[in-house]
Amino acid sequence: MSVESRKSASVVRMSPMFRVQHGLLMLTLLVLALTGFALMYHDNWLARLLIRLEGGVLFRGFIHCTAAVILMAQMVFHAYYMLFTREGKRELKDFLLGIRDFADFGQAIRFNLGAASEYPRIGKYGYKEKFQYWGATIGTFLISITGVILWAETTTMSLLPKVVLDITLIIHGYQGLLAFVILLFWHVYNEHLHPSVFPMNRAWLTGNVDAEWLRQEHPLEYEKLKQEGVL
Amino acid sequence: MKRIWTLAVPVVLAALLAGGKVSAAAPGVGDCLECHGDKTIEKSLPGGATVSLYVDLNAYRASVHGKGACTTCHSSATSPHGKLAKVTCGKCHPDADKSYSSSTHGKSRAKGALDVAGCDDCHGKHDIKKAKDPAARSFHLNIAAVCLKCHMDRAIEDKYGLPGQQVMEAYEKSVHGMAATKSGLMGSAVCPDCHGNHAILPGDQPRSATHRQNIPTLCGKCHSGILEAYEKSVHGKGMRGGIPESPVCTDCHGEHKITKVSDPSSSVFAKNVPKTCSACHEKEGISTRYALPKKRFSTYMDSFHGIALEYGMTKAANCASCHGFHEVLPAADPASTVNKANLPRTCGKCHPNAGPNFAKGPVHVEVTPQKAMGVFAVRVFYTVFISMLVLLFVCHVGLDLLGRRRRKRLGEGEKE
Repeated sequence: MSVESRKSASVVRMSPMFRVQHGLLMLTLLVLALTGFALMYHDNWLARLLIRLEGGVLFRGFIHCTAAVILMAQMVFHAYYMLFTREGKRELKDFLLGIRDFADFGQAIRFNLGAASEYPRIGKYGYKEKFQYWGATIGTFLISITGVILWAETTTMSLLPKVVLDITLIIHGYQGLLAFVILLFWHVYNEHLHPSVFPMNRAWLTGNVDAEWLRQEHPLEYEKLKQEGVL
Repeated sequence: MKRIWTLAVPVVLAALLAGGKVSAAAPGVGDCLECHGDKTIEKSLPGGATVSLYVDLNAYRASVHGKGACTTCHSSATSPHGKLAKVTCGKCHPDADKSYSSSTHGKSRAKGALDVAGCDDCHGKHDIKKAKDPAARSFHLNIAAVCLKCHMDRAIEDKYGLPGQQVMEAYEKSVHGMAATKSGLMGSAVCPDCHGNHAILPGDQPRSATHRQNIPTLCGKCHSGILEAYEKSVHGKGMRGGIPESPVCTDCHGEHKITKVSDPSSSVFAKNVPKTCSACHEKEGISTRYALPKKRFSTYMDSFHGIALEYGMTKAANCASCHGFHEVLPAADPASTVNKANLPRTCGKCHPNAGPNFAKGPVHVEVTPQKAMGVFAVRVFYTVFISMLVLLFVCHVGLDLLGRRRRKRLGEGEKE
């Protein structure tokens, strides 16, 4: 295969199902962040502006809860999809954490520092993707639980002391901040600012990536596809 | 014929009263009106201004003194006459005269300040009517306008250092002012109800009705149920105990500008309550001196209640919703709504499910290890964790970019 044709070939990386899930996740997280941080940091002009735009403090809560319901429903659907469908099971297998990922991470750092001679050969999902995926999963889980406790305050008040609700609120807020920080420093770098994808990895829109990109960044997956005859 | 008789009787009486002092028979009302019934009669003042000397007989007859004689007040009058002696109302109204002399008006007038209210400025001259008469100047619903004639006059305000026009205007818009002018309520508080009438004194004098220490009793004249609750409160007890910072009614409600609780401009409107309370409770001096818990305002404003209130949900609990209004008591008092034992009931007013279990732990969460260890620890954990993570992310990005260059270099090397 010539260099020319190799470059133009593209591979499916995100099926329509995952693109829809990713799109919904992005949308809900954005809405949740805008409505949530406005409340968490309510004492400045930006928050005041946001809350005003969100239709006041009451409507802000309504928007936040609506987005949260969509996020949680999506989380449940995603769990079902990953555990019980053919495509989901295959993807989950690729996403499972192994000792290999930690080794890859170590080797990558060593290589970056010049201490290892070779960059680790990454499969479909490397340590970068897996950190993002499992971080988001655990984060969404934690923020959903705390969110529901706070939302159902009429019920939780009868079960929990106020101090527990105070702590729940702190966890909920900081968990949101944590998610925001990860998205900003990890996801935005890996999927937008990284030289191999700059300005953006288009897989979330088109579903496809260049075969050449795959060969460089995910060589094991590239070889696997080649063996399967997809490429 | 009959009319002449009715005119004659008082004249004869007046003459008898005057006794032998006046040699000639004292002039009757008819005699006086011969000149003073002329609408054009006037005298010139040294400054060139003129004063009408006309007396409206009908107005006089309709007045409370209408059955008397001119000479009752103008005792030195003869027919004809020059400059008359000053009218002294105190001759017949000694009590009023005594109170008036002790008042700020009376004292100033005694010093010769003639632009200060005398009897006639408030009661009128020949047309004086009983205060109960709706046509009287001193009638409940008319008196404010009489006071404001001078007290809205900038020249007088400046000369005597009186409160400015905006204060008086505020009264007109206040709940008391509106009750009088708009609703015509006889129970509305008009100027003399608070300031007194004849014995009026500035509020900084201890004997003044509006002196700070007299305020609760003063307001309690009408708001007696509230006074009763206030007297039992920590504020009321402190005030009666001589603690100068202890608030009286006006400290929370304002004075002339006092409006309904439902009015957004009121200092006790739900949204404004935290600001009003914190005017004292956020003062370092006061909370230290009286060993009050600190940071009540900031901790409240950071709570769900505070944020909701700040953004206009007046339904959200403000200070008074939990601590009470007039009957506010320290948390240590078993009768206090914020006493630990009563918290479930207090929270339960809005949150029926908040039982004794919920009321555990501090309500105003001051995030320090001593006050709220749990919240503090979680916050510190997350702060450290997130900061570390950011640091590591930045390092990772740096290393990754470094490694990328190396990979590219190696890759190019391979190709060659």
